[in-house]
Amino acid sequence: MPTLVSVYDLVSDTSNAVRSLKARGFDDLTTYSPAPFPELEEAEDPRPSNVRIFTLLGGLVGVVTGFGIQIWMSMDWPLKIAGKNYAAIPPMWIIGFELTILFGGVLTVLALFALGGLYPRPLDKHYSPRFSAEEFGVVVECDERDVAEVEAVMRGNGAKEVSLHA
Amino acid sequence: MAPPPASAVADSMTAPAAPRDSQTNIDIMAVTKGFHWPWLIGLIIAVTGVGVAAGTLVYQTYVGLGIAGYQAPVFWGVYIITFVFWIGIGHAGTLISAILFLFRAKWRNAINRGAEAMTVFAVLTAALFPLIHIGRLWKFYFLLPYPNQRYLWVNFKSPLLWDVFAVNTYLTISLLFFLVGLIPDIAIARDRAVGWKKAVYTVLAGGWQGTGKQWKAHNRTVLHLSGIATPLVLSVHSIVSWDFAMSIVPGWHATIFAPYFVAGAIFGGFAMVINVMIPVRRIFKLERYITDYHFENMSRFILFTSLICGYAYGAEYFIAWYSGVEFEQTSFWLRAFGPYWFSTWCMIIFNVVMPQFLWIKKLRTNLPFLFVLCFFINLGMWFERYVIIITSLSREYIPAAWGLYIPSTTELIVLTGSFCWFSMFFLLFLKMFPIIAIAEVKELEIHDKEHH
Repeated sequence: MPTLVSVYDLVSDTSNAVRSLKARGFDDLTTYSPAPFPELEEAEDPRPSNVRIFTLLGGLVGVVTGFGIQIWMSMDWPLKIAGKNYAAIPPMWIIGFELTILFGGVLTVLALFALGGLYPRPLDKHYSPRFSAEEFGVVVECDERDVAEVEAVMRGNGAKEVSLHA
Repeated sequence: MAPPPASAVADSMTAPAAPRDSQTNIDIMAVTKGFHWPWLIGLIIAVTGVGVAAGTLVYQTYVGLGIAGYQAPVFWGVYIITFVFWIGIGHAGTLISAILFLFRAKWRNAINRGAEAMTVFAVLTAALFPLIHIGRLWKFYFLLPYPNQRYLWVNFKSPLLWDVFAVNTYLTISLLFFLVGLIPDIAIARDRAVGWKKAVYTVLAGGWQGTGKQWKAHNRTVLHLSGIATPLVLSVHSIVSWDFAMSIVPGWHATIFAPYFVAGAIFGGFAMVINVMIPVRRIFKLERYITDYHFENMSRFILFTSLICGYAYGAEYFIAWYSGVEFEQTSFWLRAFGPYWFSTWCMIIFNVVMPQFLWIKKLRTNLPFLFVLCFFINLGMWFERYVIIITSLSREYIPAAWGLYIPSTTELIVLTGSFCWFSMFFLLFLKMFPIIAIAEVKELEIHDKEHH
């Protein structure tokens, strides 16, 4: 399937190109950006990231683990300390809180690896070091009959270069 | 009419231009390349210091804690003071990275990487001290929730155990925050490296290409980590303060301890960031990125937190007097006029009086002045912990049990070694990874370009 690679100088042009391409039904596209830009992310995929689900899940596992291990360990070998209940709840908030943060944070980072496809692997065929300099890239796979239209959309939105790859 | 075949269109398309690198990439990656004499001299001193301290620790482990300055009634000495000091230093990094990120304070972008690295290395340094303090290093697992031979578990009602969880959580989250932020910059290094360095950066970058999907996950991760790291950073030094405040030792049993410690930690942490970033900026010629504006903003934080520290010092004395409790009154009288008066007055002068010069705008951007001031602030913050720990423990309730603590040479060598340990990690980091968050700086530059 033909692939068109376009290069831009400005984030606004890149975002506009992505929006125009998607409006014409060219959803099979990939963007490359040297820095984070919310407007570009919004243009490419406006849905909220699923990282938040991992963070919530991690936090819940953490709070249950935090209180769970403390209650279990305190009851496993009951010892009266400072006149408090064996499994006194107020002091347990501290470790319960810390483990909520710990598990939430670890799962958040795992979500980044899972959702961002971050693992040692060969780079995309159309990726170029110029996209880690200061230029933006939009790569679209399309049918042969759509090549001219895609090129026109890209150039019409400020692409300074467009190249076709088989 | 049918569209032309792809090959015909290709002829009309422009060929890819030669890759053009950005000046920001070139300038910041230059720090990791080439040879810098001050860096090498610093590394040699740091490694030597670590070696001497390690040898001293081996000797201490062999002969026992008797060669530390511990003597009745003071059994928390330089090691615990230094632990609290380094945990405090580790607070500025998370404040700059997480809290300023949530407030969208863009000026943080040039200094957050250095501050995050300092946080990780400072907490790594701090985490050594409880182990050094227990003397029998091989018994470190007593700190963890692992039952002893009688299946008795650890005491979850003890603030010392809370501290173990807090410090380890803080170390883990700080490290994750630091590594997540580094990924896009490691990819920049990968794209420009050759040989074995390229192989290493390729593995560490984990296939980062800056795709929309990756940036989206990355931004969300940074946002969520910031959200959870903010209460964490406030909790960590609060819990460290409860190591003291939960006891009934005169001078320690105070409700103000948690906010007082947190403010002090941010105060000292910013001072250390300034102390480190001034020479880094000068030696590696990063004036274009780390500007006087950054130092002025950090100075404002220092001035603000200095006022909180000053208020806390005053409130402690006021409450001691107003409580009418003789032990508290005596404890605070002895802080100022007892055998440790020197450390108390150093603390007050360095942490409260001297930072008031920062009301003057010219001094907030005078880097030699800031460097000297921050050196004294760090000294003052170490003395603050010395005052809290030593004056209280050496003069508790029964005068017959009073004693005098003098740090031993062993402790002072290990204290010096901790600075060398911290510096060694920081210097190695400088030559391996970008000291400034390149992608975040470029975000600002590209936005500027767009608007001009």
